[in-house]
Amino acid sequence: MSDNNMTHHIANYRKVFIFLLIGTTLTVLASYMELSVQNSIAGAIFVGLTIAFIKGYLVAANFMHLNSEKKMIYWILLLTIFFLLLLLFIPLLWDLNHMSNY
Amino acid sequence: MEIPYNVELREDTGLYNSKLGIWLFLASEIMLFGGLFSAYILLRVGAGDAWPPSIVGSELSMLLKHTVPHATFNTVILILSSVTMVMAWVSLKQKNLSKYKVYMGTTILCAIIFLVVKYFEYSHKIHEGFVPSHDTYMALYFTLTGLHGLHIIGGIIVLAYFFGPGISMWDSEPERFTNRIEVVGLYWHFVDLVWIFLFPILYLLN
Repeated sequence: MSDNNMTHHIANYRKVFIFLLIGTTLTVLASYMELSVQNSIAGAIFVGLTIAFIKGYLVAANFMHLNSEKKMIYWILLLTIFFLLLLLFIPLLWDLNHMSNY
Repeated sequence: MEIPYNVELREDTGLYNSKLGIWLFLASEIMLFGGLFSAYILLRVGAGDAWPPSIVGSELSMLLKHTVPHATFNTVILILSSVTMVMAWVSLKQKNLSKYKVYMGTTILCAIIFLVVKYFEYSHKIHEGFVPSHDTYMALYFTLTGLHGLHIIGGIIVLAYFFGPGISMWDSEPERFTNRIEVVGLYWHFVDLVWIFLFPILYLLN
């Protein structure tokens, strides 16, 4: 990579760093929503996790260079995410089914 | 015999071997932490209003409220370490070893600060009687943050090697050394990524 390209990378990393700090601040603020507004716990969880996913995307896309990776890496990650979703949802579905029996 | 594809890319994968290796390792790590997150969701949903930290005015909810500033500080420290890590790699790409040393040293320092804050947080909780056997939340808290902490310790060992004795490779094989830093950087960013999710679910959104 050329020096020019690297300068572009550095400017990008700086921006991502600022966005991540803003995201962290917003996540902390979202957690206080439940203290000031009644019954907004679900809303706070939704906002908090959405910010976490955006922050995660920023780290993966920029610092881990997933925005410009080879196909092989994307296939590995797609397969992993498929199994991760199975892992996350099968127990949850089982639990819901289990509870509906009562 | 020389190990192939340390620097040059394989025709079939388009990658050098260690990069493919670290991504396969990270895939297994996603499943490891994914399993624990799955356990968390299941137990959290099952507990409903009886989830220990969500009981308003309880000792645990008060304690958690007090630890939010520490955890927020640690989040900022880990984000900063991710930036310095990627800058260490950029410095090598720019053939600037002295800058690399500064960034790598800062990354290690951030990791140590993270662990020191964690140590105080653990000591405080244990001192107050909130040990893993106290309730389901505390068991999950210590399992998830403990496993993450072990990853930080592992990372420090590898980073320290590349800051110390491992740096000699720069003189003989600079490109291979740069690739090694990219690979260890991928691991470090993953550790940061895991914390980005642990922070809200364990400290904030109870």
